[in-house]
Amino acid sequence: MTALMTLENISVSRANKVLFSHFSCDIKAGEITVILGPNGAGKSSLLLAMAGLIPVNGHIECIGKTLCTDDRKSITQKLAWQGDLPPTEFGLTVEQRLGLIGDSPQAIQSIALVFDIISLLKRSLAELSSGERQRVELSALMLRDVPIWLLDEPTSHLDLKHQVCCMRMLKEEASKGKSIVVILHDLEQAYAISDHLILINGKGDVCVGSRDDLFNTKVLSKLFGVTLMQQNNVLLPNYAV
Amino acid sequence: MILKWTLTLTILISVFMLGLGMGDQWINPLNASGQDAMILWELRLPRLLTAFAVGGLLALAGAWFQVLLGNPLAEPYVLGVAGSASAGAVAGLMLMPDSTWVMSAGAFIGAWLGIICIMFFSNLGANRMLLAGVVLAAFWSAILALLLALLPAQGLFRAFSWMMGDLSHSDLPISLLLLAWVGSLLCGLLLSRSLDMLLLGERHAEALGVNIKRLRQWLLLLASVVTALAVTAAGTIGFVGLVVPHLMRLLFGSLHRFILPASAMGGGILLMLADAMARTVIAPAELPVGILTAMMGVPVFLFLLLRRSQ
Repeated sequence: MTALMTLENISVSRANKVLFSHFSCDIKAGEITVILGPNGAGKSSLLLAMAGLIPVNGHIECIGKTLCTDDRKSITQKLAWQGDLPPTEFGLTVEQRLGLIGDSPQAIQSIALVFDIISLLKRSLAELSSGERQRVELSALMLRDVPIWLLDEPTSHLDLKHQVCCMRMLKEEASKGKSIVVILHDLEQAYAISDHLILINGKGDVCVGSRDDLFNTKVLSKLFGVTLMQQNNVLLPNYAV
Repeated sequence: MILKWTLTLTILISVFMLGLGMGDQWINPLNASGQDAMILWELRLPRLLTAFAVGGLLALAGAWFQVLLGNPLAEPYVLGVAGSASAGAVAGLMLMPDSTWVMSAGAFIGAWLGIICIMFFSNLGANRMLLAGVVLAAFWSAILALLLALLPAQGLFRAFSWMMGDLSHSDLPISLLLLAWVGSLLCGLLLSRSLDMLLLGERHAEALGVNIKRLRQWLLLLASVVTALAVTAAGTIGFVGLVVPHLMRLLFGSLHRFILPASAMGGGILLMLADAMARTVIAPAELPVGILTAMMGVPVFLFLLLRRSQ
């Protein structure tokens, strides 16, 4: 598969502190890359850098062109980013929020079926629960018909049913040829959808590799600083006190 | 939706007629002649149009500042432009106590000084810009207090009536104000889609393709210039810029292609009505119009807020 995005020698810093440096990798069409790591390691910052939303040291090439943070129009045509829940102070309705992507009411109606938010369309975002708002954000992402999707914890706030729904949706979109990079905290979900993993340990180390190479108790126990046990394909921590 | 717009237009026209007719004596605008006609068209009409334009400009600036700063409590004066304009006006009054013209010029220069100060902070995030503005506003009000303390006693009354809003002697040509009203509304409508996206926060707006730095600078400049014009024309009139945009959001929803024209009209309506009352209540003397805007606007706004939350 062709690489849609190439990262070369990337250094990510936050608040003047370098989180990691000299990171390179390819993001290929039709594949899902999951970013794993402890809090504050720089997962979201890496994703923001890939979305051209924060400046970064190094070179990012996106579909044959250098990613330039100021060229919003060309970036918007190539990639979509899903992040924190947007604020609700000014009372946009769900329908209006989805309409900001610029699609027809018919497109909105059909996308709304996926995360069953049809009944929420006329309601104000401020009246919804976090989980419902997250479903709205995922629907907004689905309206973005671009080759690369970057997702920052898409399953946060979601109930089990919609977590499953979200994972299936991502796999289906990848099988249609999208490049998907997603930050997750749930190891089962990471295993279920990933082709590749990017592991960021928060101590300045970052590595990328195939899921089958990296997804084992030894690597992930060390990454998170938690002892993990293997049961079938699933890695579980020990919750006993 | 069509009903709401028809209603708004009807209210606008009725308030306009009412504003023409009201005063220390009632003149029927449809049937005036001789001296009455002169009072109507040469005294009341210019003042009414000034009130309309200033009210609309303040409401537009309020709507812009609220979305720019991502804060529903923002209003045109929040970043200190009114304070610096007031300080400038009072400085003008000190220099030439007998000239209204110098006072207006002082207000305009003061407003620009305030704008230039705040533009230095346009690249900070919304919250820090707001903080810088609030601190600057405190600085300007200290300067204002200093000037007021130094002002000779006979100037105090004029300074205070100006600071509470005074439509009686605007030195800006009405055509300029009306042109600014139309121009800023058109600019606002051109930006309305980006403004809608900005309701999702700066990062989301940027991810949807908005060039946030440029939008922020233009919006700040536009909103500040509009505020400076309104303040120069009529002094500091509180409340219109804060509440009219919220009122219009309650009635028309959050999308800017609706609330910007609605605010431009609504602000005009509120200020025309307030000014008509200000001229009538204790005629032939006048009340400062800023008192009336708050006294009429607050109950309406609170009523709608309560009704909406039920």
